[in-house]
Amino acid sequence: MGAHLVRRYVTETDTEPDPARKFEFDPVLGFPERKEREMVATQEHMNLAHLPLEQRDYCAHHLLKLMKCKRDNWPNFLACKHERHDWDYCEHQDYVMRMKEYERERRLQLRKKRIEANAEAA
Amino acid sequence: MHFTTMILSSSLLTVFLILTLPILGTLNPNPTKSQWAKENVKTAVKTAFFVSLIPLFIFINEGLEVIMTNWEWMNTLMFNINISLKFDLYSVVFTPVALYVTWSILEFASWYMHNDPNMNRFFKYLLIFLIAMIILVTANNMFQLFIGWEGVGIMSFLLIGWWSGRADANTAALQAVAYNRVGDIGLILAMAWMAVNLNSWEMQQLFSLTASHDLTLPLLGLVLAATGKSAQFGLHPWLPSAMEGPTPVSALLHSSTMVVAGIFLLVRLSPMMENNPLVLSICLCLGALTTVFTATCALTQNDIKKIIAFSTSSQLGLMMVTIGLNQPYLAFLHICTHAFFKAMLFLCSGSIIHSLNDEQDIGKMGGLHQLLPLTSSCLTIGSLALTGTPFLAGFFSKDAIIEALSTSYLNAWALVLTLLATSFTAIYSLRVVFFVSMGHPRFNSLSPINENNPSVMNPLKRLAWGSILAGLLITTNITPMKPLVMTMPLTLKLAALTVTITGLLTALELASLTSQQFKTKPLPTTHHFSNMLGYFPSVIHRLIPKANLVLGQLVANQTIDQTWLEKTGPKMMTSINLPLISSTSNLQQGVIKTYFLMFFFTMILAILTLV
Repeated sequence: MGAHLVRRYVTETDTEPDPARKFEFDPVLGFPERKEREMVATQEHMNLAHLPLEQRDYCAHHLLKLMKCKRDNWPNFLACKHERHDWDYCEHQDYVMRMKEYERERRLQLRKKRIEANAEAA
Repeated sequence: MHFTTMILSSSLLTVFLILTLPILGTLNPNPTKSQWAKENVKTAVKTAFFVSLIPLFIFINEGLEVIMTNWEWMNTLMFNINISLKFDLYSVVFTPVALYVTWSILEFASWYMHNDPNMNRFFKYLLIFLIAMIILVTANNMFQLFIGWEGVGIMSFLLIGWWSGRADANTAALQAVAYNRVGDIGLILAMAWMAVNLNSWEMQQLFSLTASHDLTLPLLGLVLAATGKSAQFGLHPWLPSAMEGPTPVSALLHSSTMVVAGIFLLVRLSPMMENNPLVLSICLCLGALTTVFTATCALTQNDIKKIIAFSTSSQLGLMMVTIGLNQPYLAFLHICTHAFFKAMLFLCSGSIIHSLNDEQDIGKMGGLHQLLPLTSSCLTIGSLALTGTPFLAGFFSKDAIIEALSTSYLNAWALVLTLLATSFTAIYSLRVVFFVSMGHPRFNSLSPINENNPSVMNPLKRLAWGSILAGLLITTNITPMKPLVMTMPLTLKLAALTVTITGLLTALELASLTSQQFKTKPLPTTHHFSNMLGYFPSVIHRLIPKANLVLGQLVANQTIDQTWLEKTGPKMMTSINLPLISSTSNLQQGVIKTYFLMFFFTMILAILTLV
């Protein structure tokens, strides 16, 4: 815990990627088939539901189901546990995917540094 | 117009009407009946609360938000000022919360202030304050918000100085006005910038036009306004001094509603702040500094109301931290849950103070667990909710804030300070409960202790239910506006709870040491720092007047007397002219002998030439 901070500011300052900037390496590099993620909820659906901008992500379809469930079950506010869990789990998987992308970028940077060091030594 | 839209708008306008009617009823020249306060004002607020639940339920069910423009007030060719009300998540949820808390406080005040000869006027002031607060909360343009802002400031002044025969109360009221005024400079700066650069004060137009401007200057003005109104570090001393007012005033204004107006302003205008990392960082660091500084000051206070006041200031710092994290919904959630348990803590303290014959020093209380069971139970529930005990009201907001802070990639120093302040919260909460409820009584046996008045007990019970259930109800009914990060290591997830339990155990240990005898030794310096409130009021309240007096002395003495009058003015004229005059007249003095000699020689010469 905190290892990423130590790496970023102390030990590997030149290779540790900055999460606020765009990543350098192509997302398809190393993968035989990789397609860009597609959103399940359409713009029209999200506009009809008046979703704020920050909630229009790849899990918006679960959120729309949750909102519909809440509207149907009101005043039973304890009703939509399943839909809530689905949305939370989707957000969790999205977070894990972002962590994995970060780790991939970091390892590719280290690989690039190793290749350059070997080329210089040779 | 659609049916539910009409119901929502008309319900909220009815709320305004119900609250304004008692005030208008006092305009007739007949004096108000003695029961006016209890019958008219409290009933009005209670009715308004139940009416305001209708829009709340409509909002929860359908997500309906309404903006009404009622009256085109001052419209010129270039600039429009309208009366327009915005009924969105923030105002539709805050209005019932504020009305519920005010209802309980008014019922309590009918007992607390029943000996006061001007009780009707007191209730009128509280009602005017409530109307100003709701104007602030439902404002859709900056001008209306400013009306509400100044309204709550003025009523705060009048209510803090309620016992105006007491010099400390007058000083505290003036202090509140002075510090709030400094904050108002920021608000007016922001409004002026918006009027000049964006040509509008309507919030929708502000949000859509600000994409291409650099907003640092108006946002800094807004942060200054929030610093003044919400007692952030630098402009905070007015809040503990405001405890000079009656306890219902402290419960309503200086814990639940008025002091959150600054944070509410930043929440309302958060779309302008999202893209400005400088201002967000300023909010984060200012909030972290406030929360830890005021929590430190609360550790060594002896007046029960001052401890709760510093606790309020610390929670306001936490809300500012949340704004700095770009999470306005979480800040708003904390505003709502905080209103319940903080008002309840103040009402408990009021009940204790009155029962012990106006004793406010916790060193002279004790053993109230047996003597005032309901009050001390509510005190304990309120303190537990404040510290973020799992599944009470404070947990849902406070824990969410600390989780958001732990998982963000922002300032780690702010995180450390906030966790430290969380542990201090547990320490001073336990200190209050220990000194007030536990142990043996340290006051006279002949104290008017009673809990048999329903005007006291019913508000406490209502607010206790609110402190337990409010967090659960709000979070289960309303989905957050931004998805919260729920993935974090176990240590971060349990950080707030661990820190609170550590603080609690430390406080228990330290408090149990107070009942043992020790050899006296000099108090360490850290105690002095905390007890003297960081020396902040002592320095700042003397520094500025001293600078003014020294400047006045310099101006009067050196500039005017010495420079203009002596060295450059009349005296200089004198000093230049006098030597000239004296040398000129000296030249022509004492020359009689010379004249005679000249005459004599001329005569001799004339005689010789003639002869």
